[in-house]
Amino acid sequence: MPGPRRIGGGLLTSGGEPVNFRFDGRAFQGLAGDTLASALLACGVRVLGRSFKYHRPRGALTCGPEEPCALVDVISGDAREPNRPATTLALHEGLVAESQNRRPSLRFDLLAVNDLLGRFLPAGFYYKTFMSPAWAWERLYEPLIRRAAGLGRLAARVDEHGTPAETVHDHCDVLVVGAGAAGLSAAARLGAGGLRVLLAEADTVLGGGTLLSERWDPWREERVASLAGFATLRVLPRTTVLGAYGHGVYGLLERLAEPQRERFGGLTERLRIVRTRRVLLATGALERPVAFPGNDRPGVMLAGAALAYLRRYGVAVGERPAFFVNSDEAYESAFALHAAGVRCAALVDVRRTSPAAERARALGIPVHAGCVIARVFGRGGVRAVTVAARDGGRHVRVAADALLVSGGFTPVTALATQLGARLAWRGAIAAFVSELTGAAGATAGAARGVFGLAAAAGDGARAAALVAAQLGVTLPPDVSPAPPQDAAQGPLEALWEVPGRGKAFVDLQNDVTADDVRLARREGYEHLEHMKRYTTHGMATDQGKSGGLLGAAVLAAARDVPIEEVGQLRPRPYYEPVPFAALAGPEVRGHYRPKRRLPLHEWHESAGATFINAGLWLRPLVYGGAGWEPVLAEARAVRVGVGLTDVSSLGKIDVQGRGAAAFLDFVYANTFSTLPVGRARYGIMLREDGMLFDDGTTSRLAPEHFLITTTTANAAAVLEHLEFHREAHARHLEVAFTDVGDQWAQFALAGPRSREVASAVVTEPDLSNGAFPFMAAAAATIAGVSGRLFRISFSGELAYELAVPARQARSVWAALLAAGESCGLRPYGLDALNTLRIEKGHVTAAELNGNTSARDLGFERMLKKDGDFIGRALSERPALLGPGRLQLVGVRPVDRTRRLRNGMQLVVRAAPTTSLGYVTSCTPSVQLEGWVGLALLADGRSRLGTRVLGSSLIHGELEELEIVSPHFIDPENQRVRS
Amino acid sequence: MSAPEAIASGVRLARVELEVREWIAFDEPSLRRYASGAGIELAAPQRLHVAADCVTLSIRPARWLLLRAGGTTGAADSPVPSAVGACVELSSSLAAFLLSGPGAREVLARGCRLDLDTRVFPAGSAAATLMAQVAVTLGALAGGFLLLTPASTARHFEEWLTATARPFGVRAAGTLTFQELSGDRSL
Amino acid sequence: MLRIPCPHCGLRDEIEFRYRGDATRARPAAGAGLPAYTAYVFDRDNPLGWHVEWWLHVAGCRRLLKVVRHTATHEIAAVLAPQDPLRLPPQEGS
Repeated sequence: MPGPRRIGGGLLTSGGEPVNFRFDGRAFQGLAGDTLASALLACGVRVLGRSFKYHRPRGALTCGPEEPCALVDVISGDAREPNRPATTLALHEGLVAESQNRRPSLRFDLLAVNDLLGRFLPAGFYYKTFMSPAWAWERLYEPLIRRAAGLGRLAARVDEHGTPAETVHDHCDVLVVGAGAAGLSAAARLGAGGLRVLLAEADTVLGGGTLLSERWDPWREERVASLAGFATLRVLPRTTVLGAYGHGVYGLLERLAEPQRERFGGLTERLRIVRTRRVLLATGALERPVAFPGNDRPGVMLAGAALAYLRRYGVAVGERPAFFVNSDEAYESAFALHAAGVRCAALVDVRRTSPAAERARALGIPVHAGCVIARVFGRGGVRAVTVAARDGGRHVRVAADALLVSGGFTPVTALATQLGARLAWRGAIAAFVSELTGAAGATAGAARGVFGLAAAAGDGARAAALVAAQLGVTLPPDVSPAPPQDAAQGPLEALWEVPGRGKAFVDLQNDVTADDVRLARREGYEHLEHMKRYTTHGMATDQGKSGGLLGAAVLAAARDVPIEEVGQLRPRPYYEPVPFAALAGPEVRGHYRPKRRLPLHEWHESAGATFINAGLWLRPLVYGGAGWEPVLAEARAVRVGVGLTDVSSLGKIDVQGRGAAAFLDFVYANTFSTLPVGRARYGIMLREDGMLFDDGTTSRLAPEHFLITTTTANAAAVLEHLEFHREAHARHLEVAFTDVGDQWAQFALAGPRSREVASAVVTEPDLSNGAFPFMAAAAATIAGVSGRLFRISFSGELAYELAVPARQARSVWAALLAAGESCGLRPYGLDALNTLRIEKGHVTAAELNGNTSARDLGFERMLKKDGDFIGRALSERPALLGPGRLQLVGVRPVDRTRRLRNGMQLVVRAAPTTSLGYVTSCTPSVQLEGWVGLALLADGRSRLGTRVLGSSLIHGELEELEIVSPHFIDPENQRVRS
Repeated sequence: MSAPEAIASGVRLARVELEVREWIAFDEPSLRRYASGAGIELAAPQRLHVAADCVTLSIRPARWLLLRAGGTTGAADSPVPSAVGACVELSSSLAAFLLSGPGAREVLARGCRLDLDTRVFPAGSAAATLMAQVAVTLGALAGGFLLLTPASTARHFEEWLTATARPFGVRAAGTLTFQELSGDRSL
Repeated sequence: MLRIPCPHCGLRDEIEFRYRGDATRARPAAGAGLPAYTAYVFDRDNPLGWHVEWWLHVAGCRRLLKVVRHTATHEIAAVLAPQDPLRLPPQEGS
């Protein structure tokens, strides 16, 4: 049987195969069913890590997920996962784990000198000590502190294929949190009522506290077996409820068992998002420590944890343990160890008398009543303790190799307080309890202060009936077997701290001592939440699980007020550390955002396109080659011959109804009701605050039927804008919007020879300039396909946009390419499109950036004079009409060999750091010599013909620029009408 | 009790070839009369109705998606009189999938936030929602889930579905016809 | 996380909706003047308690909803159609 401390009989490890693992480079053997902590304790390893601030050696304080100290890094290959509690980390063959915060090794830690310097490193020390000189913070102090502090290390490694992760959405009537006596009992009752129940238990096995007592084995086994009979009940073991998020939503982390890991491609944790009508909190209570000097030494453990190691794993955590307790409940651990043949060195009870002490004495256990532990000897592990009478009398040194402590039990109220439940002080158990009421659900068992397993089981049934009644379900009669009776218990006596020299910790994870709490109060941080921030008490993954109440009690004593006045820290989600991979789910890397693909995506790929993300869209940027040359070649083809580009990503919205024209007049700043059928018009939309929102071409297909095009970026936002304003402000208008963006593939055929190519594929309408002039729109037959034809132009050349159903995109595109071959037709990408539109002075998202008005961009003549429209009133704000607005202009470097940059700031030599505006878009020109750009410049239109400087501090460039009209080519708009 | 280890296995994923139109009612009673005159039964809100030549889905008030066999014409093609409503051609706009098999619900639970339990979302139910960050229209048939997603995100959605369904033993079942879908008469 | 009971689609997660602002403000009549529009667009109360908000169900029915939500507890008291009159529950403490 592996390990000298293994005495056998463990519930989870009996009959388990030996398992080999490594910890800090050493080989060990445990048993299947072990956790890392139980296996190491069985092997006699007590130091499992170094503490956060003082680098003191630490062992395991607990036997569960509430562990504050024994956090380890799990290593697999070159992956490293930090902050896994050794107390829940399931042992498996080949497991490699490393302790944290040790430098260079667990046994010899250079930074343990911090412990000796402790009087110079009090709480808040970093607020005071590392103040000056200012430069030293970033370069010296912070790197040093970061190296010294912190918990585990993250591996700086990105797995190409990614860690498998998934998110599962769940729904139920009742989420039962915790499968102890109360939770098991409640879940079985709710299941019997036919309710959809999800029973979540953080442990690998169900039973909670009943697992610690043989007497409860039959009841537990019967209850667990009975759950299988309920078709509507699901059990999720190894699943922690991380937090409550309101409206019945809970986040759960499920750790997968081995067979499931294999099936799900190595998935280790699964995030579950549960939506439930009610929650039933049966989260139990956690044993708490007592603050006394040396209460963090390896070998100091909670009494209940020692019982759990014995019952679950057959491990005796000490050969001669001493106990330090204040309740009868804690004696169970001593009785069990005694029964297992472990001799107890001393049982120190704060109280003078109790029924349990009498039983212990009868067993021959040396009970020191009315005493406390005053001191712990042994730095690397408990060797002896000093027992002191509370009345100040005798001191006795007792040799012991473990000290098992119980300061009482604190109900777990994290989820309840997140749901807004108030805390109430319960003197009998010296703890706060919370009770969920109303529509959220109910609390049962130790979580609401009902201690004793039989009492908790009964309370679970009570809460189940309550919740079922709220959901309109009457539960059938309870036929479950009666649980074992609870033994009579003597009263607990609250004890928070044993004063003395040396560090007495209230928070072992964050290395916060009772003295730190008092220091915080002296410095004015009297409120619990202020004390928390000053000392870091209850922060990080611990969230006050083990010592939260202890810190509050020390603060209350320091303030000389009852603890009710101080309250208890409000734990935040998550209840335990969660791997980022589990939170991210599958939405990482290539799947971080969906990709929208054009109907011709595969063709673009085969033509050697470089793609760019435009919002969610993948759009061809350029075909073949890097640098500007291929872009300019594509753009030049459009200026001198003909080019073809895919503009299918433009937003397209079908607008129909008797009120369509009137509604468009309301949402556009210009007029559409006057647009004849068969014509298109450029339109601008404003936001209600008067700023430009979007632009595009809208065509009238029939008297009550329009087609809006939007910019690619704003397609979804424009549809929402239309729907919102119609329903909120124009309900009297009969109009319906339908997103047809994906229905229509749309191609721009542009260039002086575009009519030649279009005529070859368009059989109707007649394309002559008279029959189908600039801004005409019509149904068309394109390469035999029913589509739509628009004579609109973004490039500034004679151009057509051809729209066909996306399914026919491929054949129509191929027909166009074939028809254009003799004219030298060239497909062009987004970069060339941008070059062409900048030369023409057309604006896009860079100029429609949310900070520009219609007047800023030179659209003032489009603003209609009569009638209401969205944004009308505020577009006339004095601030938008006055001087100083940034206006759209064109810019060119005076030295034609110099280039422009997007974002270049416009300045004058006299004030080189005062921005007068900036370059929004720029490109090498195919029409003119050198670079051309669009810019927003303060009072730009009045500066036409002058010069400014373009400054790019990033590139160290300062260029002299001419301010010109933004219409670099064909300002009279002759070409588009040719 | 079903432990997670007992997650159902076996999933089939097929593309479905459909023609799609959306009918919009400006005057709902009149549109209903017009539809029944044309032999089309418009589904009730949040429902799907299966007939031999046309499946109708209602996921938005006063609007219906009409699905019929690819490459066919029928009553659903006739223009809706403008006094009654409007219609919009969407055959190229939406891609359709059928996800079936015992594991289908488990697969969808990895992306769909709706409760698809048979008691809550029985065959004949329809809903519009989000899955894998894209818009999905969902219809419960007796033999599986009909999933409609915008054509531009169809590849993303299919890749996500396939990857998610892998642990459930997904089988690609090619392309189904409308008849195979509407042959599902158990509704 | 909010779950909003959409009258058309049923109870749905917040992610399906787009928040569209304060629904207690009525758009002024055309020509109401700059001060009225400035107040409509920019002036907002910041109530602790019940509030009425516009939410557009973009991933569902695409209808605009008037949602009565408590700003502290996030409780949703009612979900109304745009034309329904405001029915604000009594504010506690006032």
